[in-house]
Amino acid sequence: MKFSNHLIILLTILGGFWLDEFLNPTTINFFLELNFGFLIFAYWVFALPERIQSSVALIYGLVIDLLFSNVIGLNMLFFITTSYIIHLYVFRFRIFSYFQLSVFFSGSSTFYTACKYLLLSPNNYSYVVLLISFLITLALWIGIYFTMRAFRRSFLNL
Amino acid sequence: MARSTPTYTPVRNYALGFILSAFLLFSDISYGTFSQLRGFVQASNLYVQMISGSIFEKFDNSLSFFQESKNLAQENKLLREQIQKTRTEEFIKRKDLEESLQIIDLQKTLVSSLKSTDINIFKIDSIDLRNYLCCSTHRIFLRNSNRVQVAENTPVFAKSSFVGQTKNSYLNFIEVILFSDTNHVLPIKSKFFFCDARGMGKPLLISCKINKSIANFQNKIGDTIFTSGLGGIFLKNIEIGIISAINPIAINEIEVVITLKTNPLEENFYGTIGIKSDEI
Repeated sequence: MKFSNHLIILLTILGGFWLDEFLNPTTINFFLELNFGFLIFAYWVFALPERIQSSVALIYGLVIDLLFSNVIGLNMLFFITTSYIIHLYVFRFRIFSYFQLSVFFSGSSTFYTACKYLLLSPNNYSYVVLLISFLITLALWIGIYFTMRAFRRSFLNL
Repeated sequence: MARSTPTYTPVRNYALGFILSAFLLFSDISYGTFSQLRGFVQASNLYVQMISGSIFEKFDNSLSFFQESKNLAQENKLLREQIQKTRTEEFIKRKDLEESLQIIDLQKTLVSSLKSTDINIFKIDSIDLRNYLCCSTHRIFLRNSNRVQVAENTPVFAKSSFVGQTKNSYLNFIEVILFSDTNHVLPIKSKFFFCDARGMGKPLLISCKINKSIANFQNKIGDTIFTSGLGGIFLKNIEIGIISAINPIAINEIEVVITLKTNPLEENFYGTIGIKSDEI
């Protein structure tokens, strides 16, 4: 894959994280933690598994950690783990319905949030936040999926 | 859906990546190995924001100037614009005056509370609002345009109380760790107890555990809490907040929750004592 395509993909992920950064101070009042950045990354791995592999996931994670995270390694760790799991089950995902895909990606996003809180902010760990985030992400994933697919077809042609 | 089969990626690469990132994460959480790097990136980000903001402002100004010159023919509009301009100027002057008054007020408070005239005043540049409202890390960045030398762990004052201490300096910014950050420990006292209060990771809240039962605890909700000065960093007897909750943990252990006096979200200016005054 061309470097410019990697750059575009990285920019969409950065956009997602920037959106999280922008929206989460408001949504956290409603016990909701959004994870657009993580979901967009997961979409790219799901859509282009042959092009986004371990090293790419690691580099994307490092960039996100440097720009958005409080610790180095958190996004690297989750990006590489998610990438591995998606690669492992990519054939199975193809026969999944949209609802099943939503459950998987929303679950991954909630797991990411839970681990983030446990590692970095255990005092604020809340099952209510996780539950509400899971339910909202369940609905959001469909939107992210179709938006990113339209974006991929328009701009990347991959 | 994915359109082609994934190429073969050996699990070894993923395992290596996993171990590497887990190692980096562990070393950063436990020892803050990359705090310098992160601080530098954050400071660079702030610079980029400042520079892009000023470029955008200049572009916007030149654009509005162009539009303005086009509309100069309409005398009526010009007059209206002039009135608006005068109003804006007045507003800016008033704002400048208010800002100066705020600085003078803060300086007066600092001089009377800290008994020192060597005081540096900084304007806030950014607060990590997302983390402040939800998570453990509570930091603010102060703009150090004059590149004043500020030592690590210097107490930071705002309004009429301490709010935290300096953690590091990056480029022209000073990173301040607030009391409510879970990594911050502040020695405090009241009439009846001394303890080390740790940030709760929630806005304005710190807490400390005391080996007493509720029945034996003589303080009550609303009592004032002061710095004890035992850590050697903060001066003693500075009021920092009030007791807002007393929660039993075990038979002979209670948690005292303290709500801080100064809200960093409402303050524009922060002060530190100069290095010379801080020397003992």
